[in-house]
Amino acid sequence: MSQRDLVAELRAAHVGAPPEVRERVRLIAAAAPAPPRRITWRRALVVVVPVAAAVAATIVFTRPAKNQQVVRELNAPATIDRAAPQTHGAAAKAFAVPSPTGRVQDYDATLSLRVERAKNVSDGVKSALRITTSLGGYSASVHAETDGPRAVADLKLKIPRNHVQQAMARLSQLGTITGESVSTVDKTAALNATDRRIARLQKQLAKLRANSESPENARQILALEKQIVRLQRSEAATRLNAHYATVDLHLETPLATVAPKHGHGPLHGLGVAFRWIGIGAVYALALGGPVALLIVLLLLGVRVVRRRRENALLEI
Amino acid sequence: MTFQQAAEAHLDDVYGYLAWFTSDRFAAEDLTAVTFERALRLWHRFDPDRGSARTWLCQVARTVALDHFRSERRRTRREELAAPPEAVDFHFAEGLSPDLESALAGLTAGEREVVALRILLDLDAGAAARVLGISPTNCTTRLNRALKKLEEALHVAA
Repeated sequence: MSQRDLVAELRAAHVGAPPEVRERVRLIAAAAPAPPRRITWRRALVVVVPVAAAVAATIVFTRPAKNQQVVRELNAPATIDRAAPQTHGAAAKAFAVPSPTGRVQDYDATLSLRVERAKNVSDGVKSALRITTSLGGYSASVHAETDGPRAVADLKLKIPRNHVQQAMARLSQLGTITGESVSTVDKTAALNATDRRIARLQKQLAKLRANSESPENARQILALEKQIVRLQRSEAATRLNAHYATVDLHLETPLATVAPKHGHGPLHGLGVAFRWIGIGAVYALALGGPVALLIVLLLLGVRVVRRRRENALLEI
Repeated sequence: MTFQQAAEAHLDDVYGYLAWFTSDRFAAEDLTAVTFERALRLWHRFDPDRGSARTWLCQVARTVALDHFRSERRRTRREELAAPPEAVDFHFAEGLSPDLESALAGLTAGEREVVALRILLDLDAGAAARVLGISPTNCTTRLNRALKKLEEALHVAA
């Protein structure tokens, strides 16, 4: 008999369970309870996905938005007459004190500006000098220093009093105003006093000249003349000083900026969670790996032994 | 599919498999009942996506049969001391020639079960391998070996 015939004969064989076995199994099956509702992957996903989405949406939309930290300057000006940075021009105009006609006044102003980069400081110095020159002024001193990204410049500018308002407006365009101050000192009264003193001295001088020419008289005349000249020079210097306003211009880059820390986005929590999951996974792998390997080897050993015993049983 | 439906549909398959596997009709009858009792308890674990109910019931039946073999071996060892075991005359199926019946009786349990699964129950290699807990290739090798043994036995008988 060929193997094909053998298989055909075996396939043709029929083995039916005896009626008593069929009855026993029927009784067993009749005792089966109603099938419970099975939790399949699809059913679980139908529940889990919307719940997860709802939780995520709740986290995202109810999370308080953290304010972004603004760039903070550590060198806030010590003496500023205005606290907050001003917009260009407007502040300068507000602070420019108009010169009353017929009065002699010393005008001093300081203007602190912040620029973003060191190159802006250099450009600012050039622009400030150009503005000063164009208004008929001059620079009394210029000090500029650059150290990497940090740059500072201090300029003492002498600007004609009648152009100081225009100068302040234009200088304030060079950066963001971080501080400014203006002070005026009226010198008119002092000058008037000097004038009166000079007039009095000149009267005394005239009287002395009218007297007889004695050595003592000549010495007094010489002293009075010197005093009058000194007072006249002082008065001229005062008037000259009052003709020019002094503007101290300070330009600098931010001293120390704290990089704007990005506010936590809506997925920050998710990132943190994944990071901790990753850390946990690494630890679990490092600690659990050898244990898992041992368990796998043990299971393989048990399986081999069981298979051998099973094969021994099947050799009956 | 409910358990009742599965039991009704595959009772003959389970019984035939156990009968050929054990080559003992009375044992097969008892083991069939035990198989369905156990299957009822484990029915909640049955997953239709992983295999048919027939395959799953055969897996349960095999576990039951192996337990039976273990207990039988212990019992036989004890009884062999007192008296030699009696030869059991087993009728495998209707329609088989006496030579083939005799040749089947000469196979080991392992060989008979692979013949039962692949030929009597007509399971494919994958399903039969899943019941036996081996690879499909190994299953086919076992079947070929068993068939060759049967062929040789029939040749000798002829």
